[in-house]
Amino acid sequence: MATRTIRVDYLARVEGEGALDLYISDDRLVGAALRIFEPPRFFEAFLRGRGYIETPDIVARICGICPIAYQMSAVHAIENAFGAKIGGQLRALRRLIYCGEWIESHALHVVMLHAPDFLGYKDAIAMARDHGDVVRNGLSLKKTGNDLIRLLGGREIHPVNVKPGGFYRVPQRSELEPIAEKLKEAKDQAIHLVRWVATFPFPEFERDYEFVALRHPDEYPFNEGSIVSNRDIDIDIADYESEFEERHVAHSTALHSVLKRRGPYLVGPLARYALNFDRLPSSVQELAAEAGLSAVCNNPFRSIVIRAIEIVYACDEALRLIDAYERPDVAAAPIEPRAAVGFGCTEAPRGICWHRYTFEADGTIRTARIVPPTAQNQPSIEADLLAVAAPLVSETDDVIRGHCEQSIRNYDPCISCSTHFLKLSVHRT
Amino acid sequence: MKEEACPRRVLVVGLGNPDRGDDGIGPLVVKKLTGLLPADVVIATPPADVLALMAEWMDFDALIFVDAAAPLTTPGRIHRFDLATTELPRDATLTSSHALGLAETIGLARVLQQAPQDIIVYAVEGACFAGDGPITPEVAAAAAEVADRVVAEVMSLRRISQRT
Repeated sequence: MATRTIRVDYLARVEGEGALDLYISDDRLVGAALRIFEPPRFFEAFLRGRGYIETPDIVARICGICPIAYQMSAVHAIENAFGAKIGGQLRALRRLIYCGEWIESHALHVVMLHAPDFLGYKDAIAMARDHGDVVRNGLSLKKTGNDLIRLLGGREIHPVNVKPGGFYRVPQRSELEPIAEKLKEAKDQAIHLVRWVATFPFPEFERDYEFVALRHPDEYPFNEGSIVSNRDIDIDIADYESEFEERHVAHSTALHSVLKRRGPYLVGPLARYALNFDRLPSSVQELAAEAGLSAVCNNPFRSIVIRAIEIVYACDEALRLIDAYERPDVAAAPIEPRAAVGFGCTEAPRGICWHRYTFEADGTIRTARIVPPTAQNQPSIEADLLAVAAPLVSETDDVIRGHCEQSIRNYDPCISCSTHFLKLSVHRT
Repeated sequence: MKEEACPRRVLVVGLGNPDRGDDGIGPLVVKKLTGLLPADVVIATPPADVLALMAEWMDFDALIFVDAAAPLTTPGRIHRFDLATTELPRDATLTSSHALGLAETIGLARVLQQAPQDIIVYAVEGACFAGDGPITPEVAAAAAEVADRVVAEVMSLRRISQRT
């Protein structure tokens, strides 16, 4: 029996610590394991016993690139537990700061981390020698997203201005006007980015994914909606655990999320776009069509185009929100704690980020559960890897490794968040 | 080399997290520089990733970075890199999707012609980078020497004409 082992040790341009093992037996791919060995981070455990008011500042520390996702899911869960509903301009400001996170996170991934794969460059530095203007625009987009987060959140990494009920401070309208000018420029840069990434050579690869995302009656989702899929799921976020469960697997310190009835599912830009295409403005839909996308895309390699589309949308939405902004009279609605359980689910750049907290009567956290998007996508990443690598078994380990790394980067995985970076091993027997 | 009428613009950046033991050497050196440098010299301790600073680098004629280095030989050992004549060591691959390291950011800035030619990096070997851990005595002791050398470096860089 011929045995072959391909190992990718520390996959580049992926956040966190992990590795990939591929098992090939008699020229047939028999297994793919995304091994995540980043140490567990115990956020759910050390939230216990802390006051509800501390939650957004603690969970922001889960991720440096998408802290807003964790903060938003947390404050919505708190308000859900305590019977508060935040509307008006406070809700709009939450949506606005989320636009900033999508812009900076997607711009970094599209330009600096993923585009080099398609054009055959080792990294963005090598790509910048031939595509300097694209990289400059990408960095400018990221900066605009960061500026927006800093304006509303106090700082771009681990923001400090988000609280249950709203914010510690809300901006004057005049403070938003300079960022609006930057966002107009950013929108043009993002449109150019869509047109650029649409020209990339994409592998002919599709899978029949079960897409899972939030869906809101009127909006492309950020903070609110029911959890829906392209099969039969349409549930309140409080019912998440009726359809989904996390499982321990031996090769990962991150839990694997699966649909109880059907197994792997996909969250993130591909899912969000497919389930909410009709919620995009017609100008963005037309741009997607120009980029070669229909209303549903099952090719994960084209997720780079959808991320670029979502940057355009986020710029557009941010400009709309700023245009309609009137400074609210209070920076935060009053919150009265009570013994209760609360649920929050929002759309992080990488997909839905689900939180559940139980509280004592004084608002002390009794239990916390946080399901990040990358943990949900892990089984789907492994299924993609099996499908991507299967036709390549006769290729060299380096060729297989390159395709697998690119395939993993389709997900913009944040392993630090889900532990829960990468090493590829191909085991041939 | 010729003297210029106006001093050249110099940016001093102390990198690192003061709450992570020896990673705090950059901010510690910057603290020691208070009051020791001419008013036209900009001193920064960026709160976020160094990439965010890159857009402003072309406003300066010279950059000086102070950063912690991984343990190699002796905690507190000071390394000086003049990037006009030497490369800053960097990993073969980018290992984070959240932030570029100093070497990668300088490399990118140079490709994009967004960095001045004169870049000096002081790297101090650390021993412990644990959260909430104190800075080790050998590394803390190096801060005063690095500050003195940065002052001398700034004075020299303000005077010299661009190297070609």
